[in-house]
Amino acid sequence: MDQTETKPKILYIDDAPSSRRLVERLLSAHYAFFEAPDGLTGIDQAVAIRPDLILVDLNLPQFTGYEVAARVKALLPNVPVVALTADMTEHVREHALASGCDGYIAKPINADTFEEQVAHFLGGRRETLEDESFRSAYQQTLVARMEEKVRELTRALKSNAELNAQRDQLLQEAQRRARLLEATAQVGRSVTSILDADALLKKTVDILCDVYGFYYAGIFLVDASGDWAVLRAGRGEAGAEMIAEGYKVKVGDQSLVGMAIAERRALLALDGAEEPLRLKNPHLPLTLSEMALPLMVGAGAQARIIGAVTVQSKEEAAFTVEDMTTLQTMADQLAIAIDNARLLKDLEATHAELVRTKTFEAIATATGEAIHWVGNKAAPIPGSISRVREDLVKYLLMACTLLKEAPPELREHKFAQILLAAEATLAEQSGNLDVEHLREELAHQPLRRLQRTLNLESIFEDLNIVEQSARSILNIKEDLIGPARQKHLEPVRLPELLQETVRSMAIPKEAVRFLLVEDVPPVLADPEQLAHVFINLIKNAMEAMYQVEDKKLFIWVRTADDPRFVVTDVTDNGSGIPPEIIDKIWVAFYTTKGDRGGTGLGLPACVKIINQLGGKITVESVVGEGTTFSVYLPVMKA
Amino acid sequence: MKEEVKVLLVDDEKLVLRSVEKSLVRAGFDVEAVGDVTTALALFKETIASDTPFDIAVLDLNMPNFEGEVDPTAGLQLLSKLLEAQPGFPVIVLTAFDEVERAKEAVRRGARAYFVKGREADLIALIERIIQD
Repeated sequence: MDQTETKPKILYIDDAPSSRRLVERLLSAHYAFFEAPDGLTGIDQAVAIRPDLILVDLNLPQFTGYEVAARVKALLPNVPVVALTADMTEHVREHALASGCDGYIAKPINADTFEEQVAHFLGGRRETLEDESFRSAYQQTLVARMEEKVRELTRALKSNAELNAQRDQLLQEAQRRARLLEATAQVGRSVTSILDADALLKKTVDILCDVYGFYYAGIFLVDASGDWAVLRAGRGEAGAEMIAEGYKVKVGDQSLVGMAIAERRALLALDGAEEPLRLKNPHLPLTLSEMALPLMVGAGAQARIIGAVTVQSKEEAAFTVEDMTTLQTMADQLAIAIDNARLLKDLEATHAELVRTKTFEAIATATGEAIHWVGNKAAPIPGSISRVREDLVKYLLMACTLLKEAPPELREHKFAQILLAAEATLAEQSGNLDVEHLREELAHQPLRRLQRTLNLESIFEDLNIVEQSARSILNIKEDLIGPARQKHLEPVRLPELLQETVRSMAIPKEAVRFLLVEDVPPVLADPEQLAHVFINLIKNAMEAMYQVEDKKLFIWVRTADDPRFVVTDVTDNGSGIPPEIIDKIWVAFYTTKGDRGGTGLGLPACVKIINQLGGKITVESVVGEGTTFSVYLPVMKA
Repeated sequence: MKEEVKVLLVDDEKLVLRSVEKSLVRAGFDVEAVGDVTTALALFKETIASDTPFDIAVLDLNMPNFEGEVDPTAGLQLLSKLLEAQPGFPVIVLTAFDEVERAKEAVRRGARAYFVKGREADLIALIERIIQD
């Protein structure tokens, strides 16, 4: 059976372990001994175990023995509390009793009498306070202690408030940092998606101001000379104005941007009053602090400086060194992006230049070919003309020679008058013509020889050569200029246009067959140009059939499979186009017609005209069976 | 010495061919006008051993070649084959006014002279001068 149930319970509160061991040794034989090292533990334990007697050391830390006694007495009024102390101060016993103690045992403990003293208190002994003044003194002490506690509490509250403020500030810092990182991330996202340098810079200053709340942000790029940093993007109206006036700063001068570029490091100017020179800008009168971040590509000694970012605030000391680090990360990303955008722009410029060069080359080649072609076509003209001139003169000379030998009355004939007048003119205006030489030729060449060269067929042939040459040169004109001619677009009904065109071409009726869908929608085109296209295609078809006995030209107008287009097929049963040259037919100056007057420009011109109208021309051909050209034109929008 | 100088004239441009032919015939030459290099070479080889061989050839440069493809060196190819068949044979190349460089190349390759198309009277004088030599 647990003896603690039956033995009286004694709780001893003392901070000195040696005292507690001594008391335990003296009491544990007859009592259930409990102990506590400080006042608070003691009070809790007292409430828990409800001891029969409490012994308390007066000199306890935190709560004094007096306070413990007072507290215990309030909680357990019937439990006797005995002060146990080595305190030799005057009236310590009275103070103890005033605080609520029921008795007083002086330390050091007398082992011989201690148990007996304890037994007395257990037995009901109570000491009384003779002088009531001690009680009021004790109360004063308590008040003083209370005030002290209130002061402590106030101090604690105050420091708590300070801690709160500190925490709030840290929170704000964190939020600010978060916003800054968000801005950095946004710039990071933008830089990978925006490839146009100006758009990229504009977007970046907007993000910096919108997300981070800067008063102003601007981006400078170093110009080709390396001496100036030119503002390329600026926030708001101020930015727009500065860009409009070509705002720039000299690299290495007193401006923060100029210095940041020259020194290749981020710089801060935090005090508007202290650094008026650096921060003074009439466009940005409210700036009180500024941070400039260099834009660098590459690392280490190879790093290239391409410009700088400036961010400005209306507050003094708005930026921290940590901000600088975070924003520099963003600036590094931005620098790479700007460099990429520049590279892209260079690439595009190079490409555009290449296209220009190629276009020029193509024009030069085409022009060269055109000149060559015209030259070739024109080559026989002077020869033919000079022969005709010679022949004319020879005929005149022959006529006049005969006249001179004719009877005089014949010389009076009106024809003779004209011939002789012509001979006189020839004598005056022979030009380069060696009339005498021709006269001799006529006189001395045998008849056979003369017959061979001097005849009307020859003259007509030469005139024909001139005519044909001139005609093919004239044809080139329409093919070259046709597509560029001013257009008069109007709704065109293809069935009517095609019937009209074929009629104008004098093609034998039996050779043409039409299949015209009557309600085919109109197209928007210049009817003259469009007619030119079909004339070309029909001419080609007729030429492809020039050796075909039973010519069949088939013209079919209908709505295309894609209902947005009307398609016109021009089909012949001619020679067909060999697969190896079918791609070449679209090339300018390519012709298979040889001397039959082809310029090699007809089809390219057609393609150009149809393309300008938003349509296309396709071809299908089988050698020996025939060819179909299909002209697609967009249906006119209602 | 034959009565008439026999000329082989080769050009694929029919009008040019006919016009030059007429001028040469008038000047008293015996002209064979041919529109392609293959026929020209065959004709040349046929007559080379006959009693009426050609005395001179007048060739265009830019024509369909022996494979029938338009080729700016077709005339040069024919020139080589003519000279191969008869070394030292006099050849005049015809050229457009903008192809003189290629004509000079032909002269380096053995042609006697080049002639820019268009002034046929001068061509006659040129042929006569070469035949005299």
